[in-house]
Amino acid sequence: MDARSFPRLTKDNHRITSPRDVGDNCIAWAAEVTDRWWEPGKFWPVVVSRHENGIGALEEAFKSLGYVECPDGVHEIGFVKVAIYGSALEYTHAARQSPNGEWTSKLGKMNDIAHDTPDDVAGGIYGEVVEFMKRPAKSTSAH
Amino acid sequence: MPDTAIQIKDLFQELKTEWKVKSRYMSNTAQIATVWEYQQIIGMGRPALPLILKELEQETDHWFWALEAISGDDPVPPDHVGDVEKMAKTWIEWGKQKGII
Repeated sequence: MDARSFPRLTKDNHRITSPRDVGDNCIAWAAEVTDRWWEPGKFWPVVVSRHENGIGALEEAFKSLGYVECPDGVHEIGFVKVAIYGSALEYTHAARQSPNGEWTSKLGKMNDIAHDTPDDVAGGIYGEVVEFMKRPAKSTSAH
Repeated sequence: MPDTAIQIKDLFQELKTEWKVKSRYMSNTAQIATVWEYQQIIGMGRPALPLILKELEQETDHWFWALEAISGDDPVPPDHVGDVEKMAKTWIEWGKQKGII
């Protein structure tokens, strides 16, 4: 990972968790989908123009998946949180919190990584975290 | 702008390499497609189509925006949209059917 793109990543605050894969992107990964590249107007959970690349388009996508805005990325048992990143008015990235409280990101066309905090991948190519959202975690117990 | 096929191919290779580096961590397709080198490739027009399709055969990547912009076509069926490998295969087949590659 180059320091210009990720000035806050250190060898101690992240680890690579997958090989490079051009088949899905961070938005799909945050939405727990690994076989599609999510793109407004093409493959997106709500109907939008392909020219809608603002932070609002991503917010609406996650709302359609059951997420609501929340104030921070503090780990809450029973909830999944996502962090939305933006630069100017465009969305740039989304990261998802894992059940153990750490964060997971798909870095564009490259690898998945686990990172300690949402801020670890900010400050460079993704800009800053502009919003947190959460939804109840899916139950893993049998009914 | 280059005049000969060799110059066009060399320029494409140069622009492609730089675009791949600049866009590797991007997830927003509009950002990927507005990298200056990608826009230069679109600006090459129809001579870029065989180069893009050959490149797509070698390595799957997000060439779909450029292919649509240059050709004015979109052969990808709705059930393949978002599936990058299937989209690539569809475009390569399109290129063969059109006699472009």
